[in-house]
Amino acid sequence: MTLKFVPSICSYCGTGCGVLFQVMDGQLVGTLPMKTHPVNQGKLCIKGWNLHEHITSELRLKHPLLNTFGRMTKVGWDDAIGFAADRLKTIVAEHGPDSVGVLVSAKITNEENYLAQKFARAAVGTNNVDHCARL
Amino acid sequence: MQKQVRAWLEDGKVDVFLAYKMDCGHPLPHAFTRERIDETEDLVTGPARYSLEKFATQIAARHPEKKIGLLARDCTQRALNVLAVWNQLPAEQVEPLPVNCCPSALKPHADCTYLEAPATGEVKIQCGQDPRQSIEAVDAQEGPERFARWMYEFQKCIKCYGCRNICPVCFCKDCSLEHPDLIGTGNLPPDIPIFHLVRAVHMAGRCIDCGLCEDACPAEIPLRLLYGKVNAIVKDLFDYDTGASDALSPFSILGDKPTLTPAPLLAVSQE
Amino acid sequence: MAGLAAAFGSGAMTNSYDDLETAGCFFVIGSNTTACHPLIARRIYRAKERGAKLIVADPRGIQLSSMADLAVNHRLGSDVALLNGMMHCILRNGWEARDYIDSRTEGFAELEAAVADYPPERVQAITGVAVRDIEAMADLYANHGPSALLYAMGITQHTTGVDNVKSCCNLALLCGYVGAAGGGVNPLRGQNNVQGACDMGGLPNVFTGYQPVTVPENVEKFSQAWGRPLSDKPGLTITDMVGAMLDGRLRALYVIGENPKLSDPDWNHLHHALKKLDLLIVQDLFLSETAQIADVILPAAAVAEKDGTFTSSERRCARIHKAVEPVGQALSDWEIISRLSTAMGYPMEYAGPSDIFDEMASLTPKSYAGMSYERLGLDGLQWPCPDSDHPGTPILHTQSCARGLGKFHAIAYQDPAEMPDQEYPYFLTTGRMFAHYHTGTMTRISPHLDAEQRRGYVSIHPADASKLDIADGDLLVLASRRGEMEAPARVNANVQPGCLFMPIHFGENPANVLTNAEAYDPLAKIPEFKVSAVRVAKAPEARP
Ligand code: SF4
Ligand code: SF4
Ligand code: SF4
Ligand code: SF4
Ligand code: SF4
Repeated sequence: MTLKFVPSICSYCGTGCGVLFQVMDGQLVGTLPMKTHPVNQGKLCIKGWNLHEHITSELRLKHPLLNTFGRMTKVGWDDAIGFAADRLKTIVAEHGPDSVGVLVSAKITNEENYLAQKFARAAVGTNNVDHCARL
Repeated sequence: MQKQVRAWLEDGKVDVFLAYKMDCGHPLPHAFTRERIDETEDLVTGPARYSLEKFATQIAARHPEKKIGLLARDCTQRALNVLAVWNQLPAEQVEPLPVNCCPSALKPHADCTYLEAPATGEVKIQCGQDPRQSIEAVDAQEGPERFARWMYEFQKCIKCYGCRNICPVCFCKDCSLEHPDLIGTGNLPPDIPIFHLVRAVHMAGRCIDCGLCEDACPAEIPLRLLYGKVNAIVKDLFDYDTGASDALSPFSILGDKPTLTPAPLLAVSQE
Repeated sequence: MAGLAAAFGSGAMTNSYDDLETAGCFFVIGSNTTACHPLIARRIYRAKERGAKLIVADPRGIQLSSMADLAVNHRLGSDVALLNGMMHCILRNGWEARDYIDSRTEGFAELEAAVADYPPERVQAITGVAVRDIEAMADLYANHGPSALLYAMGITQHTTGVDNVKSCCNLALLCGYVGAAGGGVNPLRGQNNVQGACDMGGLPNVFTGYQPVTVPENVEKFSQAWGRPLSDKPGLTITDMVGAMLDGRLRALYVIGENPKLSDPDWNHLHHALKKLDLLIVQDLFLSETAQIADVILPAAAVAEKDGTFTSSERRCARIHKAVEPVGQALSDWEIISRLSTAMGYPMEYAGPSDIFDEMASLTPKSYAGMSYERLGLDGLQWPCPDSDHPGTPILHTQSCARGLGKFHAIAYQDPAEMPDQEYPYFLTTGRMFAHYHTGTMTRISPHLDAEQRRGYVSIHPADASKLDIADGDLLVLASRRGEMEAPARVNANVQPGCLFMPIHFGENPANVLTNAEAYDPLAKIPEFKVSAVRVAKAPEARP
């Protein structure tokens, strides 16, 4: 029997409420408001209270997939990354770095956003970076 | 306290002990176990309060063989009584370790919540229900006024279900609050006052007045007062003190004619 | 963002949540706060119960309206006129903050001239808000200060989005509320880490911390740090990218954690564009509408499955902690990006998010430099936090604005790009509902959230419904100049007559089949999501 409470931040809206993920026997079983958090002071909205449900959903993607002529094939990470990198390299070589665009996201962390724009700017060589949040 | 918990874990009196541990200045709930017994040195008893008895119920449902110790304020003790009455958490599976909390000669202030109780705003006193009032004071309000004041409170509800989610004695598999035929979906505020009254009725003979719901309510609705009224009626009608003992609730054996009449509800809300 | 930056020099919420509770008056415009930012609505409740005033301006009736001292329903897209009208009244009555205007702002004369053209009588004709109410709004806002102005997508998602924001800034500057406790101009961010994505340089024209790519020193600094010569040419915005995909300039797109097919304003247009790409890589939690047409789909870890930081609307950067292992073979986005980059011949090797954070902080001197995982703790820190002793900044612009003087902008009202006409007689606006989030990929699969609302719908006013013989639940056909779709009707008086509302979360009733991608704000490139012209009728099958 294990039970732990892991502090985190709600990833639904921009308010940034403090939550505790409740993990029992290694499974994510619930989300609680963090009582002493300066933002939400022990309260959450309906989305926050159910934050764990999207994470434990059956519908989560579990393997990299390649789509060949409309058929999805499960592949390993090396194949998926290798395929994507080769195609990107070819496109950059043929059409220049500005033929590539990267859309970063308001749902991923700061560290990941930082890396994604670094990827576009340094690895690809383009400033074509934007996020959907202006929409 | 720390020593006591350590001893309980060491000699197998309990398999897990629910209390709090500090993390960067925040008291977070923590399950102490024999495997990591040294953590008990960092055990704290508060000041924040989570629904430890609810966690105990969840553990018991999965691990009926484990003995569960927990810090027990007076309200926790009442909750354990009710949970035993409703067959959610067998009394012999839990080992409460009492902590002083409710007002006493030594400790005149209840520290129900970790927050300074904020002074109630003047507008709330004018239009809503002041959470510091006594039930008698609410009863003394004229019917239409009382109704208007409660409706003012209910219309702020953002339907977070926090009051139910955090409540130690809300354990139903299918909750009536989510029954689309009873309460419409997709609207803010939810159907009022039905949403709140459905929950209030369910708290009759069940709510142990711990205040966790009110503490979790983003809209600051004085829920404790509402359920307090319901249980005052239960006390009047059945002479039953919810949570005071493990005596069966008057509602746990409903005959073919349910004893729960709508009268108490009407007295709270509409005239 | 662009509007805020132009006025004050920084594009973020000026005040913080705690501080909002000290406001004397709230002006909430274009934000359905209780549904979209419930825990900020809570702060409004608290202040309100303490005696603060509340003004709500929204084209729809919203939950906050019922608590407001004054709630008005201005016509969709008429925000600038309404705000100019308020400023007109404030100036006519001499309620402006003269000293503040003289010492801390510029461009006042131009503003004064511009708002002179907006007497309340004219504004009533444009917005539908009564003269008496416009005057009362001005009075409440100017004379019960400090007043906090809150807005959300109802202000920004218009062709005039930047103008709308600038007008909000004008109003706050006029009364001296910028930099004041309990005041300010406070955009509420729709998605959890929009602030962070922007701060981290997820924009075509800036590096981290809004350091422009066109400034040679910045390019030099980042080129050095990253060991590659970088481009100083601003890139394409998402709106321009769609055009570039269609004419073949953009060949490959790497989409991380987004579902543009549902969030983009014009579904058909974008669908064509994405189909023309040589390579579409999508990295997400779910097989979203966009992932379904991708060439490579990479499974990412969710919030409880990784470490990192998010930055909230109030500029608070706070930690998330890993609670469980990712499902299946899913990996954290940072690991996937590192692997892809390494495979592309640009190695990225980090021990973990903490290393990445430190690298970022060292390159972002003004805002994040003083932060580290250790300092963030569980409370986080609010930027700017320039050095490791700095306590963080709850209120911006207290002494002077980030750009020096606060700038007034003279703004003239313009009609939305599309107005109802004979053929398309109804206004359509879009928005969110309380139980769902954005394109619904995360919320609709959550049983408790899905239970609140399973299907898309169209709200229609009872008067219009009876005119068109529509009953609650009837299937309707909506058509705009761009497309046609069906959705069930929900008859309710929260929408104004002549106006329809649709939530954006439902892929099978995609509102963006109807909305307008051609029309977007020229500066912020935020499309006109909030206003389009449609016609509506009962679906043929529904007829007896
Ligand atoms: S709990 Fe609700 S208000 Fe708080 S961040 Fe999550 S979605 Fe936003
Ligand atoms: S009700 Fe409050 S004061 Fe009483 S025991 Fe519980 S927490 Fe303590
Ligand atoms: S006070 Fe509230 S949380 Fe506590 S038992 Fe009663 S209803 Fe449940
Ligand atoms: S509100 Fe009623 S139905 Fe729902 S969990 Fe509580 S007692 Fe059960
Ligand atoms: S906690 Fe408050 S706001 Fe949330 S559902 Fe209960 S009464 Fe409504």
